[in-house]
Amino acid sequence: MNEFLDDVDAAILGHLARLHARLDPPPADLNDRVRFAIALENIDLEVARLGEELLVGSGARAAERVSTVTFESASLTIMVTVTASAAGTVRLDGWLAPAAPLRVELRLRAGGPGGTGGGAVDGGPASGGEVLSVTADEVGRFVFDGVRPGLAQLLVHPIAGGGTTVVTPSLSL
Amino acid sequence: MSAGAGRRGATTGSDVEVASDRHDRLARCLERARAGDHGGIDAIVNELNPLLWHVARSQTLASDEAADVVQTTWLELLRRLHDIRSPRALTAWLVSTTRREAWRVNARRRRDGAADPAGLDMVAEDAPSPDERLGADERDRALWRHYRRLDERCRALLRVVALVERPDYDDVATALEMPRGSIGPTRGRCLDKLRAMLLADPTWSAS
Repeated sequence: MNEFLDDVDAAILGHLARLHARLDPPPADLNDRVRFAIALENIDLEVARLGEELLVGSGARAAERVSTVTFESASLTIMVTVTASAAGTVRLDGWLAPAAPLRVELRLRAGGPGGTGGGAVDGGPASGGEVLSVTADEVGRFVFDGVRPGLAQLLVHPIAGGGTTVVTPSLSL
Repeated sequence: MSAGAGRRGATTGSDVEVASDRHDRLARCLERARAGDHGGIDAIVNELNPLLWHVARSQTLASDEAADVVQTTWLELLRRLHDIRSPRALTAWLVSTTRREAWRVNARRRRDGAADPAGLDMVAEDAPSPDERLGADERDRALWRHYRRLDERCRALLRVVALVERPDYDDVATALEMPRGSIGPTRGRCLDKLRAMLLADPTWSAS
């Protein structure tokens, strides 16, 4: 016990690393998703963690998929219902709690559905990624309609410009 | 990698060299990231994302949970970049944050009364089992068989330590809240146990 590490130990650990890399590799798009999510200029941010995720199943029509996601940060809860329409676009119905007329941005990664580009700066500050912006109403409700599917991220900005921006991890619409 | 005792010095020397190359590279990326260069942080993600994935998965998270936890950890890093000055501190901070975020997800799932996802070696239900994916290689099968006999904490520790360089062993063990001396310059209980089982198994050899 507690002898110094030697070459056999190195061989065991090396073998273990190769085996895990093969049996349980990270998802192929994980690097892309992370790089998209952190390509933000505003460093004064608060992270909203993924809370409950419910797949409500098909809506009235079979072509309609509905899911509800909740993100929670220290100061804010963001609930989003995502509805995929037959037309191929996506509608987001969101609520903020506590309710406040805050500016909500939806960052979309550049490129078509599936994000085949895979470039390191997709959706980054200097790239062609798209940003949609709305203001929540007084009960905290906001809507994005006709959104193209793909990788997206929500940002909720403080009222008076300064202060902390709440950001979510990237979500696949 | 050779198990020959005569090459021990050379192997150790090159380990240190490789580790210090990696540290130098990470240190340069960290400097760039701290100066607000997105290329710097992207390079750090490319380098350390697999490590964070394996930390998250070693804490019994399902694949999609692990992917979310890894993203949350990187977002948290954006807030902390100004506090983190060395590659060793960076790796340790990322590992311990991933572990803590994984703990939150596990706690919430249990509070909600949901069952834990299948163990760390499992993937989606429709995917082939680890046993099927292992293949026919006897040496691989032997390692996996004995590794699976270790307790969950040992499996988590060894899975993660296997991915970092030797100078980081102690930092990573600490970040995983494993007892001091569980691995580092000396072989701890977990590696000792696995090593004993492997050396007693004629189907596994170090080289």
